[in-house]
Amino acid sequence: MTHAGELISAYLDGELGRAEIDQLLDHLDGCGRCAAEMQDVQRVRSAVRSLPLLELPPGLIPEADAEVIPLHRNKGFLVGAAAAVVALVIAVAAIVTPSATPVSLEELNSRYAARASLDPAFGPAKVVVPYLSDFLE
Amino acid sequence: MRRVLAIVATLVLLPASAAVGAELDELLEESREASYSAEQVITCSTPDGVRDAVIELSQTSGELHLGAAVHPDVEVASGSGGWTLVREGSVISSANVQGAVDEAEARYAVDEGADIDYLGREATIYRMTGDGVVRAELVFDMEIGALLRVVTFNANGSVYCERRFVTFDPNAPEPEESESAAGEPAEADVESDLPVTLGEFERLDVYRDEEGFLFAYYSDGFFSFAVFQIPAVLTLDDASIVTLAERVYRRSFGPGQVTYAWESRSGGMALVGDLPPDMHEEVLAGLPAPQDPGLLRRLWRSLFG
Repeated sequence: MTHAGELISAYLDGELGRAEIDQLLDHLDGCGRCAAEMQDVQRVRSAVRSLPLLELPPGLIPEADAEVIPLHRNKGFLVGAAAAVVALVIAVAAIVTPSATPVSLEELNSRYAARASLDPAFGPAKVVVPYLSDFLE
Repeated sequence: MRRVLAIVATLVLLPASAAVGAELDELLEESREASYSAEQVITCSTPDGVRDAVIELSQTSGELHLGAAVHPDVEVASGSGGWTLVREGSVISSANVQGAVDEAEARYAVDEGADIDYLGREATIYRMTGDGVVRAELVFDMEIGALLRVVTFNANGSVYCERRFVTFDPNAPEPEESESAAGEPAEADVESDLPVTLGEFERLDVYRDEEGFLFAYYSDGFFSFAVFQIPAVLTLDDASIVTLAERVYRRSFGPGQVTYAWESRSGGMALVGDLPPDMHEEVLAGLPAPQDPGLLRRLWRSLFG
C-alpha cells in the first residue's frame, strides 16, 4: 500500500469491514505519513465538534435582563454571527444535497450478470455466482 | 451439507451471433441450444485464496436457469434484446440493447480439438488461444454440444478458474414460466467519458439507470467486465487492499469473479468481471485513478455522511 488517504477517511466514517480495518491498522503501524494524516483528520474533526454553542445576542428577547452593546463594540458577536451564517449555509447544503448511501456489491453484480447474459460467451463458462456461501452450509 | 437452492435468476439467452473465432462461436452457439440439467463446481485460485462454489443449472429452449442467486431478492431476466432487474415485484433497472449491443472483435481461436471421455460421455476438448497464449480449455459434449467443462488460465499458464459439471443429465426439466416485468428501459448508448478500449478489451455499450448507476460493459470476445461510476462508495466486507501500478484499490474475489472498488475525484468507481488476474493491472491503468477526495470532502462526509 502506498498511501491510504481514502481508507483513512472510510475508517473514520465507519465504512470499513473488519478485514479492511485490520489491514489499515497494520499499514499505519509502518507508515508515518499515513499515521500523521489520520491524526490530522481526527484533530480537525474533534475541533469542529467541540466548537462552543452560540448564545443569543443581547436584546433579542425583550424580557431578558441584558445590557445592550452596540455591534461595532462587540467583535465577539460579529465573529459569532459569521460562524452562525457559515453553519447555516452548511446545514442548508446538507439538507439539499442527496445523502450518499453506500452501494452494495449485490447491486453491481445484478447489473453485470444481466448484461453478461447477453454475451455470446455466456453460459456455463460465465455464470455469475458471487454469494453462494450464503446458500451453502 | 448443502441447502436447497432457490431459483431466483432466469437468464434467457439471445440467439447466437457473430463474435469470438468462427469455430468457437459455432461451438458456443450449439452449446446454447442444448437441453440439459447439471451440477457445476467452480474452483478459482485467486491471489487472495481459493474461491469455490457448487451451482445447479438447467437449460432448455435457449433458457438457462440458475439454481443460485445473483442476489437473494433480485430476479434477473434477459433476452429479446434487453434485460431487467426486478426486486420484490418492482423494476429496479432495465435496458433495451436491441441494435445497440456491439460484439467484440475476434481475439481468440480454438484448435481442431481432441476426443476425450468426460462424465462417461464422448466429448471433445478444445484449446482457446489468444496472442499465442492458451487462455482456456473447453470440453463440449459430442452428442448434444453442451459445454461440460471450462478451465481458464493466467498468462503464465497457471489455472485461474475451473468450471466443470459433476453431474449431467441431457433430459432437462421443462422450465417454469416467468412473467416479463414492465418498465422503462435504460438506453444502452448514453454519453460517457469511460475509455472506448482498455487494453485488449472493447467497450461495447454504456448504460445509465434510474438509480444513478452509470456503467460500461467491456469484452475481449470471451472474458468481460463492467466498469461502474456510482453515486456513493461501494461497500466490500471481505475486501483486501492491494496496490497495482502504485494505485491502491479494495479488491474482492468470488467464484469466477473479481471486484475492484475505489474512489476517484468524480465519485465511487468499481470494476466487476471474470478476467484473469494478469489482465487486471492493464485494465485498471486505463480507468480514473484512485484519488484522495480531499480534506474538505472528508470533513463534509464525517459531519453529514
